[in-house]
Amino acid sequence: MEHIDAAIIESSKLNLSISNLMKQGIKEITVKNAHSMHNMCVGLTGDALISITDSTGLYTASFLEGPKVVIEGNAGWYAGDDMMDGELIIKNNAGCNVGAYINGGTIVIYGSTGSRVGYGMKGGTILVCGNAGRWAAQMAMGGSLVVIGTVGNLIGESMYRGIVFTQDPDVSAKLGGNVFLDSITEEEKTYLTDLFTKYGVDADPVRFSAIRPALTGRHKYVLFKPELNKFDKKNYQPTKEVEV
Amino acid sequence: MSEERMKEPSDSVKALWNKDTLAEIDYKATYGKHRIRGCATPRQMPNFDDLMILPGQLTRMPLDTYREDCETRTVLGKRFAKKPLIIETPIMIAGMSYGALSKEAKIALAKASSLVGTVISNGEGGILPEELANSYRQSIQVLASRMGFTKRNLEYADMLEVLYGIGAKPGLSGHLMGSKITEDISKMRQIPVGIDLHSHPRSGDAFGADDMVIKMEQLRELTNWNVPIFAKIAAGRVREDIKIAVKIGVDGIILDGCQAGTGAAPVMAADHLGIPLMPALVQAVMTLEEMGMKDEISLIASGGIRNGADVAKALAIGADAVAIGTGAMVAMGCRVCMKCHTGHCAFGIGTQHEDERKNLDVDAAAERVANYIRGMTAEAVLLAKAAGKSKLKNLEREDLRSLSLETTAMTGIPLVGSDFVLGKGFGFTANNNI
Repeated sequence: MEHIDAAIIESSKLNLSISNLMKQGIKEITVKNAHSMHNMCVGLTGDALISITDSTGLYTASFLEGPKVVIEGNAGWYAGDDMMDGELIIKNNAGCNVGAYINGGTIVIYGSTGSRVGYGMKGGTILVCGNAGRWAAQMAMGGSLVVIGTVGNLIGESMYRGIVFTQDPDVSAKLGGNVFLDSITEEEKTYLTDLFTKYGVDADPVRFSAIRPALTGRHKYVLFKPELNKFDKKNYQPTKEVEV
Repeated sequence: MSEERMKEPSDSVKALWNKDTLAEIDYKATYGKHRIRGCATPRQMPNFDDLMILPGQLTRMPLDTYREDCETRTVLGKRFAKKPLIIETPIMIAGMSYGALSKEAKIALAKASSLVGTVISNGEGGILPEELANSYRQSIQVLASRMGFTKRNLEYADMLEVLYGIGAKPGLSGHLMGSKITEDISKMRQIPVGIDLHSHPRSGDAFGADDMVIKMEQLRELTNWNVPIFAKIAAGRVREDIKIAVKIGVDGIILDGCQAGTGAAPVMAADHLGIPLMPALVQAVMTLEEMGMKDEISLIASGGIRNGADVAKALAIGADAVAIGTGAMVAMGCRVCMKCHTGHCAFGIGTQHEDERKNLDVDAAAERVANYIRGMTAEAVLLAKAAGKSKLKNLEREDLRSLSLETTAMTGIPLVGSDFVLGKGFGFTANNNI
C-alpha cells in the first residue's frame, strides 16, 4: 500500500502521482489530507483501490475507468460524472448532480445526496442509501438509480431510458413528467438483492417500485402550461390580490 | 384614362398583416402551439454585405491576384493547448449532427474536410465511425445532453467544443423530431425510436462560471493539455459571455450568430433570440482587446457565412476562422426549403429515410463541398490580395467601411465616403463632431 499526502502536492499533479503508482502495479493507494480538493482521481484507468481519508471537492472520480475509489468523508458536486467503469464509494453525503452522464460502473452513496443525482445517466448503477434531492435521474438515458430513503420532487423527469428503484411511500406524488410508477419484476428483485448484499445495505427489495420512462407517445412539456382550457365563468371570483 | 378602365387598387398588405402573418395565426388557431421549422431564420438581418473592403491603391500596394501567394493556413487554439489545431483554410465545417443529417451527408462533409484540409465538428449525438475515419481533423462537441459521448471521444478529438449555445436557438437545446429517430440514431443517442427529442438544456456537470473553471481543468487533465478547447456560445450578451469564457480558460471561442441554421428549431427562437453575427463579432473582438486577450484566444465566427466576402470581412473584423453549415448543405444540393424538421429531404441530406438517402452521391457531394470551400477561400484570398495582404489573417478592420449609418453605429466602422463614425469607434477615431 502507498500513501500520498495531498497537502504537499499540487492538485494538478495528484492524479498523475496516483496514475504513476498504478502503472508500477501498486494496487492500494491511500490519499490523506484531501481537504476537499477538486478533480481528484479524474480519468484514472486501471485496477486499484484508492482510498481518500477525508472529503473531496468537485468532480471526484470523473471519467473513472476501472479503479475503486472510496471516499471516507463527503463528496462535492458532480462526483463520478461521465464515469465509464469501476466503483465510487462515498461513505457520507454527496452534493448535487452526482453521477451525471455516467456510462457505466457503480456509485454508492451511504449518506444522502442533493438534487439531480444521475442527471442524464446512460448506464451503470447509482445506489443512494439516504435520501435524494429533487429531479433525480432527470433525462436519464440508461442505467439504474436506487434510492433507499426518500426521493425529492419531479423524480425521473423526462427519462428516455433507464430505471429508478424507490420505496418512498409518497413517490406517486413526486413523479416527474413522462414517467410512470410500476411494480418490479423478479429479475429486478434479484438484481436489488445482489446489490444490497454486495454493498451491505439493509433493505428489502420487495418493498421497491420502479419508475420507468414512457417509451411510447410523445413527451409532455411544461411549455404548454398553464392549460388554458379549464375555466368556469360561474366560479370566477374577482379578488384584489392574486396569489402567485 | 376613363373611369371604366381604371383598376381598383388591390390594397395588398405588405406590412404587418401580410400572408405569412395570417398563416402563422392560422397555425396557432388550429393547433394551439408554437411552430417548429428547419434551417435558419428567414428574417432580414444586418450582415457582412453592409461592409465594403477598401482596395490597396497608392497608400498600399495590391498583390497580384493571379501570380502572388496569400497564406491561408490557420492555427487555432494556441493559448494553452500543447497541440494547436492547424488547418489549411480558415473555413471549418460546423457541428451538424448525425440525426439532423443523414449518414451519407455526414460522410460527405467529413470527406470534404480531408479534400481541403480543414476540421469538421461532429454535432450532437455522438460521432459516426465513418465520419471519424474520413475527416481531416475532428472536432468533438461536449454538449449538455452528452448523448453518445464517452471518454473515448476525448482521446481522438483534435479539438473540443464545450457547447453552451447555438445561434439558431440560443437558450434552447437540441431538437430532433421523432421522424428522424431511427433504430440507428436511437442506438447512438440511447433514446427510444421515434420519440421527439428535446435534449438537455443546461450542462449537468457545470452550473455556473466557477464550476466551469474547475470543469475546464478536468478536461485539460483528461486531454493532457494537448487538445485545444473552445467554448461555443450563441451571440447574445457577447461582452459578458466572452469575459466569462476567457475566465473559464478556453483556448478559443466559437461565436454563433442568430442567422445560424439547425435541423429543427421553434420559429420563435430562430426569429427572435440572439443577435446577428456581424455586430456580435465586433463586440467579441472589442472585449478581447480590452482584456488584452485578442492574441491568445482564437475566435471562430459562425452563423450565416455564405461566401469569401463574408470570410474576408469576418477575418478583417478579427475572427481567426469561420464555420459553415447551411452553405455546405447547399453545396451538397440543399435548396433551403426549411423543412428539415419533417424528416424528409429529397436530396438525401436532412433525412433518415433510406429511399431518400440514396439520392445523395457521397463522393460527388464531398467534391462539391470541397469545391465550395476552395471557391470561398479563393474569393477571400482575392479580396485580401486586392487589399494588399500576403496572409489572409492580415486583413484588418482598417480595410473595412460601412455602407449604412446603421452599420457604422453597430460596428464602429466608419461610413463609406465621409469616414463618419457613430457611437464608439471600433479602433477608429470618431469623426462625428457630436
